[in-house]
Order: sequence, then C-alpha cells, then structure tokens
Amino acid sequence: MTTTATPLPTLLVIPTGIGCAVGGYAGDALPAARLLAAASGCLITHPNVMNGAALYWSDPRIHYVEGSSLDRFAAGELLLRPVRRQRVGLLLDAGIEPELRLRHLQVADGCRATLGLDIGPVVTTERPLEVSLSLGASGVSWGQLGQPQALLEAGYRLKASGATAIAVVARFPDDPESEALAAYRQGSGVDALAGAEAVISHLLSRELGVPCAHAPALSPLALDPDLDPRAAGEELGFTFLPCVLVGLSRAPDLLPAAQPLPMANPAAVIGMDAVGAVVAPAGALGGAAVLACAERGIPVIAVDNPCLLNVNAEALGLEVLPAASYSEAAGLLLALREGLAPAALHRPLPAVAAQR
Amino acid sequence: VLQLERRPGPLRLQIEAALAAYGRPLRWAITAVHHPGAGEAVLQIEAVVLSGSGGA
Repeated sequence: MTTTATPLPTLLVIPTGIGCAVGGYAGDALPAARLLAAASGCLITHPNVMNGAALYWSDPRIHYVEGSSLDRFAAGELLLRPVRRQRVGLLLDAGIEPELRLRHLQVADGCRATLGLDIGPVVTTERPLEVSLSLGASGVSWGQLGQPQALLEAGYRLKASGATAIAVVARFPDDPESEALAAYRQGSGVDALAGAEAVISHLLSRELGVPCAHAPALSPLALDPDLDPRAAGEELGFTFLPCVLVGLSRAPDLLPAAQPLPMANPAAVIGMDAVGAVVAPAGALGGAAVLACAERGIPVIAVDNPCLLNVNAEALGLEVLPAASYSEAAGLLLALREGLAPAALHRPLPAVAAQR
Repeated sequence: VLQLERRPGPLRLQIEAALAAYGRPLRWAITAVHHPGAGEAVLQIEAVVLSGSGGA
C-alpha cells in the first residue's frame, strides 16, 4: 500500500514498566513502530519503544525522543529539529565495576568502527549514582536515584565538552534469583528496571535540554531455556547500550518553543501544531503526553494492548478511536493521513444528524 | 502515591499542580480511577519527584 498524502506526524506512546503485552519487554514494540511510521510517514516515539538492547532499527521517519521531552513536546513547550547526526557523549556511573565498564567502552568503539557513529567524550560520575528499584501501588515499576547531583554534574561536563546528546549507563542492582525477573524473562512480568531508567533519563533531559537515553549496567544472567522471544534482545550481549547509541545518533534536537528559531529553515522543525494523532495502549491513557494531545483535540487511537493498568477512555472521559491491534491503528492512521473520516469505515453507518 | 479528586477542566494541569506541592515531578501517571460515591472520580497518581534533599 502506498500513499501520496503528506506525512501525518504521530506520537506513539507505550509507557515503560507497566507490563504491556506489546512494548513491555526488550524493544518488542519496534515492529509496531515501523508499521506506524510507514502509515503516518512521521512517527515520534520514545526509547522504550525502540530499544532492544543489542537490537535496534534506524528509520528516518522515526524520531527518537526521550519520554519527558516527549511530554514537553506534547505540551507545546518543545519543538523537534531533525539532524543528520548527534555527537553522543557517554556518561558512566562510577559504581560500574572495571570489567563491566570496559564492556561498555567496547560497545562505544564498536558503534564508532562498525556503524560510523560520532561518540564521545566519555565522562564518569564523581560518585556512584546509587540506583534503587521499587514497585508502585499499582505494580508499575519505579525507581530512585540517590545521587542525582552527581548525574547532573557529569552531564554538564559532557555538554561543555561538545556532546550534543547523552547516553547514560548506570549500575543497576543485580537480582538474578528474583521471581519478578524470572517472570519477565518468561514473558509474564513487568520490566523492573524500567521505572528507574525513566527517572534517570527524565532528570538529565529536563536539566540539560539535549537528547538523552539510558542503558542499565548489569551482570550477565544464566541461560534461560524458557526465555520469551520478546525479552531475547536483552540477552544477546553484555550490555544494553547499542540501541541507545544508535537511537541517539539521529535523535532530533530539542528546541524551546518559546524562543525564536535559530535557523534558516523553520519548515524543517516539527511542532505540536503539526501532530495529527497519538497512539497509546487503551488502558494507559493517563500519562502527560496523551492527556496533552486530548486537550488539544488531537485524535487519540487507543490500542488494545493489555497491561497492568485500566486507565481507559471511559474512566477519563476521553473520546478515542479504538483499535484492536497496532495493525488496525496503522489503518486508522492511514485514513487520517488521507483525510478519511474513520467513522466512514465502520458499519452500520448512522444517517447524518440534521440540526433544527 | 497521590489521591486526587478530579475537578472540571484539563486533567494534566490539575495533576501537575498537585504534585508541585511535593517537589519537581520527574515522572507521573494516573494508575487508577476510583468512584467512591456519587461525586467526582478520584485519580490515583504515582509519581517520582525531585525532592529538596537532593534525592529523586
């Protein structure tokens, strides 16, 4: 199927750490993202959707935007400026052991040598970041950072040294015997790391105003013969870093919407006024980006994607376009892109209501 | 975890204003919606904020 219609910039949100059947594991929403990018011609999404640890996909129609920056974009506070490349600085937690640290440095070298990415400099925090993990009342994964100032100081050093995007690697607590990890690896649990990862990247991105993403540093796990395919991307190597470096290497610049554009071609910038739809799990509509879109009257495509939450359109009083799958969502996006009213595709089709 | 009675008007601003009392919100989400009686819905909000003591 091809279309001659102009692209319809679309947000794809699959919140991290809520156990989504699609997107709750190791970049397993990537096929859906690729499909939605083809349907819309321009997809703006966040690392949880795109990051498959050792696996990744680069598509010029997909814009990789960290979660809190995506929220600020949806709120109209930021604009996105696509770039040819970013210079990705590497921020390493001082709590990473020497051997694991070397593994990450070798990933950076591999991405330079094999993919041609511009990576560097490398900065290590002054103190270990002291990451801890927790679960919320709903079962959603969250996390805390004991030394946020050490993270920010290292981020500022990277930015001052010329990095235009930042990949963070923090030492996460190992818990190889936990039931939660076993459930996750076998495809029935929540990603326990995701909440803390989001906190780290949100903090850095908000403070520094540059694209950021995070990879956890963990000791390798023992082989699991019952590994779910959706989690397999995280078990192919010693680090989760390759996807982060690739994603950031072409992440768009983040421009404050309130300031004049510092460039000759403002048409190349993407703003919320151009966004034509947002796609999100039907039970997870209570996040900042989706609510901001709904407040602007942007169509919300609510996809049946089971997760821990049941914060649906009815609970929030939102009007949405329901979709049984991401395939159906792609069809709805294509309809919107072509200027078709989605209601015209359903039967029965009620007669037009005449007003007196 | 914050319980917030829903008021008329945009939800996002209500939530961000309520969270600001605890610190700078880094990440939040409505994780449940309860209807305890005939009144407005009560939103359960889970969040991580940047506290004054320097933790997040």
